[in-house]
Amino acid sequence: MTTPTHDLPTPEGGPDPGGTGIAGGPGRDMDEPPKGGSFLGYLLRKLGGALTSMILVIVLGFFAFRMLPGDPVLKIAKERPMSPAQIAELRSQYGLDKPVIVQFWDYLVGIFTGDFGESYVYRKPVASLIVEYLGPTLLLTATAAILSIGLGLWLGQLSGWRRNSTFDKIMSSTSLVFWSVPTFWLGLILLMIFGGTLQWLPTGGMITPGLDPWSFAGMVDIVKHLILPVITMVAVVYAQYLMVMRASLIEEMSEDYLTTARAKGLTEDEVRRKHAVPNALLPTVTVVFMHIGGLIAGAVTVEAVFSWPGLGKLTFEAISGPDLPLLQGTFVVFSGIIIVMNLAADIVYRFLDPRVRRA
Amino acid sequence: MMFAPHKLRRRLVTGLAGLAGLALVGSMATAPVQAATEEADDSKVLRIATDGFIDSFNPFTSFYLMPTNTFKYMYENLVANSAEDTQVSEGLATEWDTDSEGKVWTYKMRPDMKWSDDEPLTSEDVAWTYNQIMKKEEMAVANGALVENFDKVEAPDESTLVITLKEPQANNPGQEIPVVPEHIWSKVDKPGEFKNEEDTVGSGPFQLESYEANKSVTLKANPNFWRGKPNLDKIQYRYYTNSDAQVQAIRSGEVDFITGLTPEQFKAIESAENVETNEGNGRRFQGISINSGLADADNKEFGTGHEALKDKKVRQAIRAGIDIDTLRDQVLQDYGQPATSFVPSVYETWALPKDDPAITGFNVDKAKKLLDDAGWKEGSDGIREKDGEKLQLRFLTDADATVEQNTAKFLKPWMKDIGISLKNEASDVDTVSERTTKGDYDMYFSGWSLGPDPDYQLFINTCDSRPDADGNGGTSQDGYCNKDFDKLYQQQHVELDEGKRADLVHQALAQHYEDTASITLWYPNQLEAFRSDRFTGFTKQPTEGGIIANQVGYWGYTSVEPANAEDASGESGGMGAGGWIGIAAAAIVVIGGGGFLLSRRKKSDDRE
Repeated sequence: MTTPTHDLPTPEGGPDPGGTGIAGGPGRDMDEPPKGGSFLGYLLRKLGGALTSMILVIVLGFFAFRMLPGDPVLKIAKERPMSPAQIAELRSQYGLDKPVIVQFWDYLVGIFTGDFGESYVYRKPVASLIVEYLGPTLLLTATAAILSIGLGLWLGQLSGWRRNSTFDKIMSSTSLVFWSVPTFWLGLILLMIFGGTLQWLPTGGMITPGLDPWSFAGMVDIVKHLILPVITMVAVVYAQYLMVMRASLIEEMSEDYLTTARAKGLTEDEVRRKHAVPNALLPTVTVVFMHIGGLIAGAVTVEAVFSWPGLGKLTFEAISGPDLPLLQGTFVVFSGIIIVMNLAADIVYRFLDPRVRRA
Repeated sequence: MMFAPHKLRRRLVTGLAGLAGLALVGSMATAPVQAATEEADDSKVLRIATDGFIDSFNPFTSFYLMPTNTFKYMYENLVANSAEDTQVSEGLATEWDTDSEGKVWTYKMRPDMKWSDDEPLTSEDVAWTYNQIMKKEEMAVANGALVENFDKVEAPDESTLVITLKEPQANNPGQEIPVVPEHIWSKVDKPGEFKNEEDTVGSGPFQLESYEANKSVTLKANPNFWRGKPNLDKIQYRYYTNSDAQVQAIRSGEVDFITGLTPEQFKAIESAENVETNEGNGRRFQGISINSGLADADNKEFGTGHEALKDKKVRQAIRAGIDIDTLRDQVLQDYGQPATSFVPSVYETWALPKDDPAITGFNVDKAKKLLDDAGWKEGSDGIREKDGEKLQLRFLTDADATVEQNTAKFLKPWMKDIGISLKNEASDVDTVSERTTKGDYDMYFSGWSLGPDPDYQLFINTCDSRPDADGNGGTSQDGYCNKDFDKLYQQQHVELDEGKRADLVHQALAQHYEDTASITLWYPNQLEAFRSDRFTGFTKQPTEGGIIANQVGYWGYTSVEPANAEDASGESGGMGAGGWIGIAAAAIVVIGGGGFLLSRRKKSDDRE
């Protein structure tokens, strides 16, 4: 899925689908001719890229899942007393009796009118299902994002500043170990220790059934349920922020203005906090944006382990269906989020870094 | 700017510390209270772990396992299947009769029954329900096959129901169709699309109270249930996506019942405190389906099955070359019953008796002789050949299923011993299902779950139920076709004398065994566990060595009652979960706040 402007995050190298490579910044377009300071031109180019990506995603979303083996209707009918008439009725209810090209047309028309079709399993509009399950996913990923960004950047700048020290080595290596651990495995281990054996934390779900999520007890209950999945997600992703921050700070450390700052009589600590870190933060901004999309996609695994009732779990169930309309819907939404986040990263970066504006 | 930067920073620090402290104190304070109230409510709530799909709770359209299991508690059938031995027994009807042919079935209803909303339950509700399924396509999605043979259904008076069939049948037609109240459902605008997700009205022991997708399903006891109000107040299903999490949940006491454990999980949970296990004879068989030459209903052949397998002797040789007892012991760790045919031994009446003369055992010499007789002679490398072709077979398995992979490992050397080269083609479930539909296999690992009457499973082994090459049309177990078998099927289908019918079923099963369209390996046990410190009195089906979940009927949980109340106390010693939550919440606030402060500091510094 390459676009004229830059790559979408790929699963390569990361434990999560959507875990992007740690290197690289904002998708700077080295091969494109510099375009004066016209913000509009820049915006249009980026928008065009995003739009092309989106069109590819929409087309792919239809055909990729149709290539999956397995007939949803036969799978449903398996091991059930079903008459051929019943099977034919299901096929026509699902629209599977129409030619593929007609199905594709219906799908395209549907998408542009905001109608993602009806889920086979839930028998509800896909759009309303996605809206319904988006909340828990946002809660989980936002918490995990804030914590992993905070932790990663903070430890990253400390590591970078003391490059090659014991602290740096320990920090870099532990984060990389977590990063390479399979999310599913780490989640299960945490679940067994803190849920099953020690019984400190719940083993699954988002809230104890019967509690009102808006009451105080309900909120405390949600926090309890949130801890293990969030720790799992943070452990697996904070390394990428740590490494970017570290690399970025190391790059800044060779700059002359730090020498100037030292010459003014500032302490090392002050030089780091007041001069080096703020500048080093710049390239991390785009990485952060790009990874938010990836993080939401990464929720699939964590939600499946901890029975978190979000979009990830919905997708997980749709795959085993196979619930084609639901798969198409979540695929388009996940990809859409990633594309929008990339676009936002490009735009924000241009505001933040004057060098891009000048380029 | 109203504050000097350092003042702002101090304010933030105090504010955040305060928040963290509040969270800590708050959660510590509320946790015990909450535990106490939960305990009071919970002692009569049976919490069950589930991961089942739910499309809706509409018994006319939903066919997923989880809702179907729930319907068994919500809506009764005209006749039930007993807990003792799954035989047809009293349900909404107390007695029934059929004409000499088995074509007109007359039922007498139990008097003075009430729906859960106090309205009277009569034969008219039954007639209305059946007629909906018979007459409206959208109402036949789930149970259409069960009324296919119905000609008409009438309620001549409030306590009588008459079903007239198109063709005679021996299997009681009043089973398995959930009966709904006409006074509720006839008022629903589009009953085919009705979700039926809360406060249902039915006659079974439990009614649906609420459903939250992917979170929980709550059933409440029905005081009008004619066998008497259940001891439990509620049954609550809680969602756990993966089965390892379910095991942890019962260990920690978050749920009271789990089912569908693997042998490894079952062994691990056996030693857990306050947990009791149940190893129930399942109603499923597993076996190896053999491609004996697939053809559609017009006898047009399709698929890529090996030519050699069309010869009965080769198929019998494969069976003789498999040491099923060792396989069951090693692969299934003996969590299963020895099998004779595709009808599980829990259905005692119908299952093929172990001493049937058709049954043969593991015998390598016999296997070799059968292959010799079939003209497959041993080549220089030990693999048999005929007309220059090697006897090489493909065995299709699900790569994710441990049992299937281990079976393949044992089968390969055993087949080599008798001169067959076996290639394990492990794949994902969807690919397996697609390839088997198209007949693109030689052998594959298969299995089915059966209801209490063998008619349907026998039917899908007749010539008529073979699908076409695209998988459309009928449903077939192994693509099997034998006119003698079909004749026996027809005879048992209309034989009203149960003894005679059982004999015909046994003959059909023996014929199928002899033809070896598949090799039934075992009937896996259903492995279950429950919290013995909280509940007791689960009813198994059959009562001797049976299962608790997935029964044909509502026996499993209806008899459950709380165990000795004193034992069921909550958290023990140490810092409770509340304390830890508080600490974690505080940590989140502090870390989150730290990041925020860092950024504030940077900005304020910039201004200096």
